[in-house]
Amino acid sequence: MKKLKDFIVNSRVWRSFFRHGWPDNPLDRSLIMTTNVFFHLHPVRVNKRSIKALYSFGLGVITTIMFVVLSITGILEMFYYVPSVDTAYFDIITLQTQVPFGQLLRNMHRWSAHLMVLTAVLHMVRVFYTGAYKRPREFNWVVGVVLLILTLGASFTGYLLPWDQLAFWAITVGTSVAGYEPMFGKLIQKLLLGGAEVGQASLTRFYGLHVMVIPGLLLLIISLHLWRVRKDGGLAANEVKDEIETEVENA
Amino acid sequence: MPDNNIPEENKSFSRSSKKTYSLVEIVKAPTTMVDKGPEDTIFAFPIVAILELMLAIGSTLVLVIFSLLKDAPLEELANPLITTDPAKAPWYFMGLQEMLEHMHPTLAGIILPALAVGFLISIPYIDYSREGAGVWFTSKRGKSIVGWTALYTLVAMTGFVLVDNAFPPRELLRDMLPNLVTQSLIPGAVMTFLVVLPLLVLWRSKEGIKNAREVMLVLFTVLFITAVVLTLTGFLFRGPGFELYWPWAMPNGYNPMDGL
Repeated sequence: MKKLKDFIVNSRVWRSFFRHGWPDNPLDRSLIMTTNVFFHLHPVRVNKRSIKALYSFGLGVITTIMFVVLSITGILEMFYYVPSVDTAYFDIITLQTQVPFGQLLRNMHRWSAHLMVLTAVLHMVRVFYTGAYKRPREFNWVVGVVLLILTLGASFTGYLLPWDQLAFWAITVGTSVAGYEPMFGKLIQKLLLGGAEVGQASLTRFYGLHVMVIPGLLLLIISLHLWRVRKDGGLAANEVKDEIETEVENA
Repeated sequence: MPDNNIPEENKSFSRSSKKTYSLVEIVKAPTTMVDKGPEDTIFAFPIVAILELMLAIGSTLVLVIFSLLKDAPLEELANPLITTDPAKAPWYFMGLQEMLEHMHPTLAGIILPALAVGFLISIPYIDYSREGAGVWFTSKRGKSIVGWTALYTLVAMTGFVLVDNAFPPRELLRDMLPNLVTQSLIPGAVMTFLVVLPLLVLWRSKEGIKNAREVMLVLFTVLFITAVVLTLTGFLFRGPGFELYWPWAMPNGYNPMDGL
C-alpha cells in the first residue's frame, strides 16, 4: 500500500500537478502556498492574532464565499432564463415549479445576494473600527469601497430580472433617484434603462450588467483586494505589538 | 531579553545571542512587516485552509437551511399601469428613499450620497497615522467615543425622522419661503448640525480631540448608524402611502418583509 502511494506520489504525472510533497514540514508548507494558484493569495505564515474569530468575525471570507455561491447558482439559473419581457416572468415560474430543485436554487441565489450585501457592509464596519484602513492599507480600503458599490450594483441589476411587480417598481423607484440630478441625471437614467421607462431595453441592459459586466469586474477586483491584503502585510492585527516588543520599545 | 542598552536600530528586533548577523544592504522602501519579528506567526497551511473551509461549509449550510424554509418572493407579472402601494426600492436603498421624504431629491439622492462615498474614500488619507491599527476601537477612550456617538445618532436621527414627519417644513412654510430654502437649505442645515454636534461636544470636552482617528470614529459612527436608522425606517416602518406605521400593524395586509 505504501509502495503504491509512493509510486503515485513520485510519478511524473503527479509531480507535474504538485511540485511539492505532502505539506507536513516547513518547506512543503511554504511551497504549497507559493506554487498553488488558490493558496498563493495567502501568506506563507500568518499572525496568530489575525486568525482569532472575534477579531475579524470572518466577514470578508463569508462575503467571498457568497460571491462563489452566487456565481454557481447564477450560472444554473441562466440555463432556464431568457431576458425577455414576454417570457422572463414565466421562466421564473417554470424554474420554481417544473425544474428539480429550481425553487431551492432561486431561494439560494436570492438570500445569498442579500447576505452578501449585509456581510460586505459589516466587513467594512469591522475594517473601520479595527483601524485596518490605516497606512499601508489605504488603497485596499478604497478598493473595498469600490467593491461595496459593485456589490450593490450586482444586487440591484438582479432585482429586475424576475420581471414581477416587485422588480418593476423597485427599479422604477431606484432609477428615478438618478433622474433628479440636474446635470447628468437624466442621461444616466436613460443609459441604464435604455429609454425613459423600465422596459425590454432595461431588462436587456440589466441582464448584461448582471451576468457579465459586474461579476467580471467583481472577480477581477476581489482578486486584487485579496492579493493586496497579503501584499500590505496581512490583517492589521499583525500591527499589534505583543508584550515583549512593547517592552523593548519602551526600554 | 531586552536590556536598556539596545542600540536604536535593534529596538524592534532583538538579536539572538546564538546567531551571527551582518548588514547586507539597506533598502529604503515601505514595508509592512517592519517592527515585527517572526515569532508570533504560524504556518498558514493548514490552519487557514481549515478555517476557510469551515466558514464555507457553515455559511452554505445556513443558507441552504434558510432557503428550504423561506421562499424568494415572486409577485404578479410586471404591469406598468398598476403602481404598487407602497413602491419601494431594494432594502439597501431604502435609506436613500427615506431621505427623499425629508428633503429635495438632489440633496437626498445625489449630494449626500456623494458626500458619504467621498468621506469613506478619504478616511485613510486623512487619518494616516499607523497608531492603533488592528485594535477594535483603538482604545478604551475610542470605545466610549463610539458608544456615545452611536447612542446619540440613534436618538438624533430617529428624532429627525419623527419630527420632520410630524412638522414637515416644506409643507408648513410652503407659501412663506422659496422651495430652495424649505427643501434644501433647512434640511441641509439640520443634517449638518446633527453631524457636527458630536464633534463639537468632543472638541469642547475636557480632553478635547486628540487625533484624526477620533474625528473619524465620530463621523463614521454617525454615518453608519444614520444609514441603519434610515434604512430600517424606510424598509420596516413605511407602509401604504409611504406613511409611518408599526411593522406589525400595516394596513391592507401589507408586510414589509415580503419585499426582500
